[in-house]
Amino acid sequence: MKDKLTPKTITFGLLVCFLPLLMYGVDDIVDFLSQYDIYLGWPGGEYMLRIIVRACVYMLLAVGLNIVCGFTGLLDLGYVCFYLIGGYTAGILMARLGVSYWIALPLAVLHGTVWGLLRGAPTLRLTGDYFAIVTFGFAELFFRIVRNEQWLVGAPNGQLRGIPSPTLFGITFSQNWHNYYHIIILLTLVIFITYRLQHSRVGRAWVAIREDEQAAESMGINVSRYKSLAFAVSAAIGALGGGFIAQFQVSISVPFFDFWESILILCMVVLGGMGSIRGAMIGAAILGSLGEVLRPGFIIPYQFGNARYLIFGIILILLMRFRPGGLSLKKA
Amino acid sequence: MAQLLEQFINGLVLGGIYALIAVGYTMVYGIIQLINFAHGEIFMFGAYLALMLVTVFNIPFWIAVPASMLLCAMLGMLIDLVAYRPLRDAPRLSALITAIGISLVLQNLARMIWSARPQLFPTETLPAFLISEVNMQTGEILNAIPLPGGGILPYRDVSILLLAVVLMIALNRLIYLTKIGKAMRACAQNRVASNLMGIKTNQVIAVTFAIGSALGAVAGIMVGLSENITPTMGYYKGVAAFAAAVLGGIGNITGAMLGGIIIGLAEVFGAGYISSGYRLAIAYIIMIAVIVIRPSGLFGKSTANRA
Repeated sequence: MKDKLTPKTITFGLLVCFLPLLMYGVDDIVDFLSQYDIYLGWPGGEYMLRIIVRACVYMLLAVGLNIVCGFTGLLDLGYVCFYLIGGYTAGILMARLGVSYWIALPLAVLHGTVWGLLRGAPTLRLTGDYFAIVTFGFAELFFRIVRNEQWLVGAPNGQLRGIPSPTLFGITFSQNWHNYYHIIILLTLVIFITYRLQHSRVGRAWVAIREDEQAAESMGINVSRYKSLAFAVSAAIGALGGGFIAQFQVSISVPFFDFWESILILCMVVLGGMGSIRGAMIGAAILGSLGEVLRPGFIIPYQFGNARYLIFGIILILLMRFRPGGLSLKKA
Repeated sequence: MAQLLEQFINGLVLGGIYALIAVGYTMVYGIIQLINFAHGEIFMFGAYLALMLVTVFNIPFWIAVPASMLLCAMLGMLIDLVAYRPLRDAPRLSALITAIGISLVLQNLARMIWSARPQLFPTETLPAFLISEVNMQTGEILNAIPLPGGGILPYRDVSILLLAVVLMIALNRLIYLTKIGKAMRACAQNRVASNLMGIKTNQVIAVTFAIGSALGAVAGIMVGLSENITPTMGYYKGVAAFAAAVLGGIGNITGAMLGGIIIGLAEVFGAGYISSGYRLAIAYIIMIAVIVIRPSGLFGKSTANRA
C-alpha cells in the first residue's frame, strides 16, 4: 500500500470501481452466446455480485480482527459477538423501531465499541490462552442471550425479518450494485483508518505490546490504554460489518453468528499472515470465495453438509506447521 | 424435596462425566501448557466409535467400551504426534490455532462418517441392567433404586458414578504411585529439566494424551447412554468440562475432579431453577468469572506467569 499511482494500482482501482458493470457486461455476453447454443458455466452477475459483497464483508471483519490478533497478538476467539451486536442493534432499530439506517448504523458501531471496552476491561491482565477462553465465553453468552430473550428480537431463535434497505433522497439502496458500492466505501474507510493507525504511534505501541508486554510497559507505553483502544477499534469494525450485513441480508438469525464464524474469520487472518492488513484482506478474499464454492450441493454432496469447515481446519493445521507467518512472504 | 434429590443426583452424574473429560484437559495443560481444543472431539469420537462397534460390528457392549478407549487413546497419541509435537517449541498461539484446526477437522469428519443425525445406543445392544423402567400398572421398578418421595435412581446412573469414581482413584494412584506418574509430574514441573534428567518427555506426553483420551472416551459413552450422540456434543460438553478444569485450577488433577462435580451440579440446578435456555451459559459464566477473578482456580496455587 504505497501512495503512488502506478499502472498496477490504477488498473486495480478501475476494476474495483467498475466491477458491477463488468459483471452485468458478462451477463450480456452470456445471453448473447446462448442464442447460438453456447452455454458457459456463468452463475449470473447478480449472484456473483452478492458473493463479492459478502467477501467484502469478510474482508472488513478480517481487518478488524487483525487489530487484536495481529497487532496486539492476543487470540480473539469471539470476534463474531461484535458482528452479532452490530447486526442485531441495527436490525432491531430499523425493523422494529423504524429508525433510519443512517442513524442505526452509527448507533450499532457505538454499541459494539462499548461492549468491546466492557469485554476488554476485565481481560486486560490476561494473556494467551486465558484471553482466548474469555473472548470465546463472552461470544457464547451473547449468542445465547439473543437466542433466548424473545422480547428483544420478537421471535424465537433470534429470527429478525424484514430489515428495510437504507434510503436517501428518495432512493432506496436495495440493488446488489448499490450494496457493492456501499461496502466498498465502508471498506475503504476502514482500511484507511487502520492503515493510518498501524503506521502511527498507536500502531507501534501495539506491536511493542505484542512483542514484549513488560518491555513495552517499562518503555513508558500505557499498556492498558493501548490495549483498550485496540479492543474498541476492533469491536467498532466488527459492529460496522454487522450493521451492513443486517440490511444486506434483510433477515438475520443466530446461527448466522455462531462460534464457527469466529473461527472462519480467524482462519482468514491466519491465512493471510497475522499483523498485515493486506494479508487479512487476501485471506478473506480467498476463504470467502472458497467458502462459497464449497457450499453444500455445489462440489461437495449435500449429505456431507458443511464439509468446507473440514478444509478450513486442514488449512489452519498445515499453515501453522509449515508457514506460521501466513501466505505473505514476511516471516513471522 | 424429591425433585431436589433427583436433580442433585443428576448433577452428580453429569459432574462425574465432566470430571472425566476435565482431567484430560488439565493433564495436557499441566505438561505442555496447551488448551487441547480437540479433546472435546475425542470425547465425541469415543461415543461414536463405541456406537459403531456395537451396531455395525455387533460387538458386545462390554468389549466395545475398552475397545473404544483404546482407539481413542491411539487417536490422541496420533494427534499429538502429527500436529502438536512439531510445534513444541513454536509460539503458544500456533499450537492453540492448530488445536482449533484439529477440532474442526474431527468434528466435520464425524459429520461425514456418521451424519449429523442424533443417535442413541439401541436398547438391545446394552446390558439389561442399564435400562430401567417403571411399570405403570403394577408400580414395579426395574433396574432402579426407589428414592424417598417417589423418584427413582436408575442403576445406569449408579454405575456411571461408580465407574467415574473408580477411574478417578485409579488415575490418582497412577500419578502418585507409579514410575510413569512420577515422570508426568516431573514434566509438569519443568519439561526441559526432566529431559536433561533422562526422562523421555515425548513418550511421557504421548502417554498423557493416551490416558486423557481414554478417559474422555469413557465419558463419551456415558453421555451416550442417556443423551443423543451428535457431532457437536464434543464442542458443547467439551467447553463445560474445560470450565471445570479452569475452576479446579488448570493443571491440578484433583481440582479438575471437584470442578467437574461443581459445574455438573451448577448446570443441572441452573437449568432446573433458572432457565433451561441458559443451561450451558452457566458453565461459561463460572468459567469467565474464575478466569477474571482468580485465574489460578479454586484449588490451584497462584502462579505469576499464567494470568
